[in-house]
Amino acid sequence: MIATSTTRGVLLASLAGSALAVLPAMAQQAPPGFSPLDQSNPRASQQDVNLRPHATPPTVTAPDQVPVDKLKLPAGFKAEVFSHGHPGARTMVRGPKGTIFMGTRQLGRVYAITDRDGKREVKTLLQGLTQPNGLVMKDGALYVLAINKVLRYDNIEDRLDNVGDPIDLTDKFNLPPDIHHNWKYADFGPDGKLYIQIGANCNICEINPGVHGQIRRYNADGSGMEIVARGVRNTVGFDWHPQTKELWFTDNGRDWAGNAGPEDELNRIPKDMEGANFGFPYCHANGIPDIDIKRPHPCAGVVMPAALTGPHSAGLGIKFYTGSMFPQEYRDVAFIARRGSWNREQKFGYDVVVARPQADGTAKIEPFMTGLLDEAKNEFYGRPVYLLQMPDGALLVSDEQNGATYRISHSSSDRPRVQ
Amino acid sequence: MMVAAVPWRPLVLGLAAALFFTIPAGAQGVDVAQRVEQCGTCHGEDGNSRMEKIPSLAGQPEFFIVNQLFLMREKVRPVEAMTPFVKDLKDEDIIALAKHFAALPAKPSGEKLDPALAERGGTLAGSLRCVSCHLPDLSGTQQMPRLAKQRLDYTIDALKAYRDDKRPGADSIMTAVLLGLSDSDLAALAHYATSR
Repeated sequence: MIATSTTRGVLLASLAGSALAVLPAMAQQAPPGFSPLDQSNPRASQQDVNLRPHATPPTVTAPDQVPVDKLKLPAGFKAEVFSHGHPGARTMVRGPKGTIFMGTRQLGRVYAITDRDGKREVKTLLQGLTQPNGLVMKDGALYVLAINKVLRYDNIEDRLDNVGDPIDLTDKFNLPPDIHHNWKYADFGPDGKLYIQIGANCNICEINPGVHGQIRRYNADGSGMEIVARGVRNTVGFDWHPQTKELWFTDNGRDWAGNAGPEDELNRIPKDMEGANFGFPYCHANGIPDIDIKRPHPCAGVVMPAALTGPHSAGLGIKFYTGSMFPQEYRDVAFIARRGSWNREQKFGYDVVVARPQADGTAKIEPFMTGLLDEAKNEFYGRPVYLLQMPDGALLVSDEQNGATYRISHSSSDRPRVQ
Repeated sequence: MMVAAVPWRPLVLGLAAALFFTIPAGAQGVDVAQRVEQCGTCHGEDGNSRMEKIPSLAGQPEFFIVNQLFLMREKVRPVEAMTPFVKDLKDEDIIALAKHFAALPAKPSGEKLDPALAERGGTLAGSLRCVSCHLPDLSGTQQMPRLAKQRLDYTIDALKAYRDDKRPGADSIMTAVLLGLSDSDLAALAHYATSR
């Protein structure tokens, strides 16, 4: 319905037009990893053109500098430092024997965090990888998805001192080699398939919809690829609703289109709509046409988000809570870690919110963990990125800026305090 | 144009220079003063390199030096000539070295600059918005390096490596910015940046 011959014509025209506009003298192929069609125009955005991504320290934050005292939570919850000394902390998965594996981006490390006498020990398990953000645990094996590699370490928890060579599945999955927006998030779904995202290889451009802006699923050996979502700019976090088994995913909106957004999205793939289109690059947020890449009826056929998650807030990790430690009203609600903005003059996010699914398929967003953003000073103290539910029902939150994790627990199941 | 014709010789000289040093086997931590002296042999005693294609470190943002040494040590950004020097560095050594070089004043390398080319580079740099990240005086900040007074030959090589996606460990933004530029565009940018 969307790809009528008219719109196809417009599409081609705009492709050609944008190539000319961006690259007047270009006589070469784009290097791997980039779309030559990026339409970003900071000047037109009327934003401070000096906005730039914040640096992530490769160095250890001293334990007494980890800003756990700044964290604010609803009554009854408390936060403590669970682990520290692992710079660039991002994704977390837990092995059956209790090891927590942690991925990073630029630093290229994968850590193993183990428990010894109630204290955490951190070991750098792998290093020199290209943005190993995608970690998955399955049947005792650790899958490590870097930008250019899919590796499987069998029985990893028995080999923490000498991990040995992995099974290299890179060729089997044959993922695009692009760098931009291609650090991985991956997880096995309730159907036993491995879900992997392929981000848009630009801020805003015409993407090749057969390659980029997707969530795909594969058999564990890399065979049987299917596309489960299209038009997804960059999701780096998804989870399945514990009851409906539908896939929910965070999606980061484009930059350089103003401080107000378009807002980031929390999306749901309705059960009968696998393979549906979520709008990128033509339609953002809850139906906002793109300002640079235009076409008639940009939002026709696009699945609208379950919720908007704020301008440039960078929602990454999402986890539906299934534990019993937190009060009943947190059962089957999603926690979302928002890393916080860079492309916005007044900083936004740097927190964990709750998304409460509603009967109509949408979700309501509420604050949960705040305190890492000082709005008056326009400064941030930490960047929450991913979430892990522990067997006791506590929630771990990784802080990429400080290389630490916070353990969020609820007092009714902690040591009860006599008032 | 003349500069753009300089052949692409990644770090051959640096590697040769590296052979002059003996690295104590299995050093546990390093004497920072001794290490500074080692760095200075190629990068200049005062952190301003006089050696062809070896970058100056003087006045680089501390964070930038820390970050790059981490990435080199851990082979996210493998630089063959640097490997023997970085492999045994502890985090605190890296921080101390970065503090040292960040505090030194950057000086011009003395390479011959072409004012016309620099002017063209300035116009191009304006449209590419280099100053957004590298600051208006191109002195760099955080993970973004100082470009002002950096060596011309090094800058040209670095720009080519970014453009051609041959500099791993960097965020993708530099490649995106330089995509499609000709060698002479890159030379112009380098003449401009170096002259600041």
